[in-house]
Amino acid sequence: MLGTGWLFLFAVLMAAGLLFTMVFFIIMFSDLECDYINPIDLCNKLNQFVFPENAAHAFLTLLFLLSGQWIAFLLNLPLVLFNANKIRNKNHMYDATEIFRTLSGHKTESFFKLGFYLLSFFYYLYRLIGGVRSMIVALISESE
Amino acid sequence: MASPTQQLPPGWAAEWNAEHQRYLFIETVTGRSQWEPPVEGPNAPIDAVVGPSASGSPPPATHNPKRRQYAAGQTQAYYGAAEPESSYDAGYTAPQQPQQGGGLFTPGLAQDGFGQQQQGAQAPYYPPQDAAAGGYGAEPAAYGQPQAYPQAPAYGQPQAAPGMGALTDQFGQMGVGGQKPFQLHTANLLTSPPDPRELAIPPPEIRLPPGACLSQNATHANAEPGVLRCTLNAIPTTASLLGKSKIPLGLVITPYRSLKEGESIVPVVADTIIARCRRCRAYISPFVQFIDGGNRWRCCLCNMSNEVPQLFDWDQVRNQPGDRWARDELNHAAVEFVAPTEYMVRAPQPAVYVILIDVSHTAVQSGMVATATRTILENLDRIPNDDNRTKIAIVCFDVSLYFFSMPPGSTDATMLVVSDTDDVFLPKPTDLLVNLTEARASLENLLGRLGDMFAENHSLGSALGPALQAGFKLMNPIGGQILCLSSTLPTVGPGALKNREDAKILGTPKESGLLQAASPFYKTFAIECSRAQVSVDMFLFSSAYQDVATLAYLPHYTSGQTYFYPAFNAARSEDAVKFAHELGGVLAMPIMLEAVQRVRASKGLRMASFHGNFFVRSTDLLAMPAVPQDQSYAIEIQIEDTITAPFVMFQVAVLHTTCYGERRIRVINLALPTTSNLSEVYASADQVAIATLLANKAVERTITHSLENSREALFTKLVEIFSAYKASMTAAGAGASAQLSISENLKMLPVLILGLLKNVGIRQSAQIPPDLRAYAQALLTSLPSQQLIPYIYPNFYSLHNMAPEAGTIGENGIIMPIPLPPSSERLERHGLFMIEDGQTIFLWVGRDAVPQLVMDVFDLPSYEALRGGKTTLPVLDNPFNQRVNAIIQKTREMRRGVYYPQLYVVKEDGEMPLRLWALSLLIQDRADVLPSYQQFITQLKDKVNGAGNY
Repeated sequence: MLGTGWLFLFAVLMAAGLLFTMVFFIIMFSDLECDYINPIDLCNKLNQFVFPENAAHAFLTLLFLLSGQWIAFLLNLPLVLFNANKIRNKNHMYDATEIFRTLSGHKTESFFKLGFYLLSFFYYLYRLIGGVRSMIVALISESE
Repeated sequence: MASPTQQLPPGWAAEWNAEHQRYLFIETVTGRSQWEPPVEGPNAPIDAVVGPSASGSPPPATHNPKRRQYAAGQTQAYYGAAEPESSYDAGYTAPQQPQQGGGLFTPGLAQDGFGQQQQGAQAPYYPPQDAAAGGYGAEPAAYGQPQAYPQAPAYGQPQAAPGMGALTDQFGQMGVGGQKPFQLHTANLLTSPPDPRELAIPPPEIRLPPGACLSQNATHANAEPGVLRCTLNAIPTTASLLGKSKIPLGLVITPYRSLKEGESIVPVVADTIIARCRRCRAYISPFVQFIDGGNRWRCCLCNMSNEVPQLFDWDQVRNQPGDRWARDELNHAAVEFVAPTEYMVRAPQPAVYVILIDVSHTAVQSGMVATATRTILENLDRIPNDDNRTKIAIVCFDVSLYFFSMPPGSTDATMLVVSDTDDVFLPKPTDLLVNLTEARASLENLLGRLGDMFAENHSLGSALGPALQAGFKLMNPIGGQILCLSSTLPTVGPGALKNREDAKILGTPKESGLLQAASPFYKTFAIECSRAQVSVDMFLFSSAYQDVATLAYLPHYTSGQTYFYPAFNAARSEDAVKFAHELGGVLAMPIMLEAVQRVRASKGLRMASFHGNFFVRSTDLLAMPAVPQDQSYAIEIQIEDTITAPFVMFQVAVLHTTCYGERRIRVINLALPTTSNLSEVYASADQVAIATLLANKAVERTITHSLENSREALFTKLVEIFSAYKASMTAAGAGASAQLSISENLKMLPVLILGLLKNVGIRQSAQIPPDLRAYAQALLTSLPSQQLIPYIYPNFYSLHNMAPEAGTIGENGIIMPIPLPPSSERLERHGLFMIEDGQTIFLWVGRDAVPQLVMDVFDLPSYEALRGGKTTLPVLDNPFNQRVNAIIQKTREMRRGVYYPQLYVVKEDGEMPLRLWALSLLIQDRADVLPSYQQFITQLKDKVNGAGNY
């Protein structure tokens, strides 16, 4: 049980990180719409984050798989597959030449991911608390 | 000081011509800031004109001095009072004086009726203040003289007073027909076959509300359809109305059109007085209103009231008060402003040409190198170089790069070889990019022997990517144009491509993959180029697969153009002539450099998506490192809010540097009335613009989705338009109908869409090589309507029995025969036919052609002796041959653009592929899986009736 607590603590931190990445993406997209940033800079900046974001999420999912957290794993699996599919089709990077045509799509995608990370953040938090509680319970029972 | 007597309202310029002593001051004006304080002088006059309304503060004080000092008033102060007064007074009758108070006075017009007309026209927007009364009173007089200004009454004036008896007569004279604006005539497509001549009819007339336009010559105030046209010439007021009509709303823009003989150049406003709206940054146009006694103007896009710049009424050339109403920006749809330094990021750069020539074995063998060098040599004089600043560099490449150093003073060129293609560097910091004038001798020398230099070259690869990078490095600080001549698939260094042609996937959904970029290099490099103001033109010559699709991305995003000569062989003189003509045309083209284009529109309208060759740099800014002539762009428009204004305006602004080193802004205006009536929406639709917009959208869809999807989308769009029309405009309503109805002005739309569906770029077929498809798509997205329409709906003429005057010289040049519908029904076994789509010309010879015909046209004894394929028609001494030659000549010249259609002779029983190619242009025929026009129309009708049942 101790492992679960640490795992979800880590997951909560990761989810928070991913959450911020998505917020950053969305801010950048709206900057683009308001013409505060040009598409070339935007894509150069965002493309740096695409792989780390996908990798972090995939790593987290892998941890769930390895630690046998089936529910958490299944929750994350669709997004991993979605990302993997995008990478396989080579359209995971933002393309400055097409960004304006695809902007609305990118924005909705970012919003969905934001929502997903937010929900998963709370789920991990819940599990973390559950884990910590059971840990405490275990400690108490041990001391008794 | 100028006394009020001297204050002549702006616009009596003609009388002032003789004043030579004044010219002394002109020199002083050029330094604008130097002006001494006699400020009151000039303004006093204006005030006087303005009369009671503009009381206290002289305009100079209120003007925002931010931009520059407007010397208008000041200069006036130097003038002695009153000379021309007398002549001026004579020209105007008493009632007109009050009009000056309105600031709408139009001096300089011979007939006073006119000034009043103007006034009257303004009235709807103006509370009839002080002066207007006079204008109204005089109005009937204005109607009495429509002959004097035939244009003016055509637009709006009659409607200003709809009750007038003369009204109907006037309409009658103008041939407009009914009283109602836009009468909808419904045509039944099942009974009226398409007539190619209808495509020549101009789009539905733009009927602006009275008084919308300041200029007397309202036809000049609105852009010509060839420059800027909208799919709807009456804009629906709400998005739901537009949605109901199903017609796509968009603009088709050709901002930089070449000049044909007899066309006037775009007027240039040289005094750098650029009146722009403070809020929306729109430029002043013939559709603004002057308010507040002419001191302010109301922007016609956002309704913001702006100050008129002080010098607006000042003629800087003559250094005297000018006539505001004569200013070009208030009278012409397209003007160019000379831009002051605020519009420059850096000083205007010279035109730079870097020519990359493939000298690999294949290129040399095909004769491309020899033809290219000869063409460049011959066209050195035609390269725009008026100010002797133009720079040029020549870089050759095979698997290595060959630079040529041409130091000033020498007449020889030294070759420098760089074989490191992974990390390209310039072998020498200077003398590679040389001044065209200074290095002329060495250039000529180099071009003269370049062909020989590489004649023995046996290297096979192509380092196109590194060559592009090298060219980019050469011109990086300046920008300019790269002309890239390549004969093979790039194989070395960055940008190397693989042969991905696979006959198995042609005709399958995977085919669209072949139309996407195979390597990200060409996209990222295009972005770099766009940033550095470098434009790339591709000339491709391969007989084998060259991946035109990928290579075309570079011109696509850098506003260049792709030219493709499949299986080029200079040994055939036709190939060489075509290439030389087109390369020469590109070199001689006075391109615009460092350009950005922005389209502004009235409130409620938004530019939603952009199609064409450029890079979209922000939501509405199109970056175009070089604007070639006769390139067309399409923009889709969304209606965001309900439009309440009686008319809306679109304004295209292209900020650019001319190739003569001057920074300019080209502004093109199009004002369109709004309507809340669905039938007017249909009646004002422009089928040519719709077809152009749909062609652009269809090509984009082939890349983002698939060819199949794109064709379906085209057909669905057509069905939607017809269903919507049937449901709302005909008695049949939602039920089934035996007719297929559409308004008269959209009659050709189905056949244009059919042509588009059968175009090489989109057609369903497993036989079309991806290179040809990609090239056709590049053409579909860049050709202006004038060339695009024949490209999708070819012209078909019967030559053996053409009218006797066809091919002879008439009033408007050579008379063309009457086009026939492109269908093989019309082919006759003994006939001679011509099919042309602007890119190729086919002469179809029937198998029973009489020897006399063959003799007359081809100088051959009989049909059997005739060979099919690329030909040059001999010029013979018989009238029929001369007429045919004249028609071919005219076909090649009548359209804008550098394209030189090649002539093919097709024998009825000749080679199969050539015959099929020629026949595929007869788009009304059934071919393969593609329906004939009749079948297409029937399908359409079934769908429309079916759709109605839901």
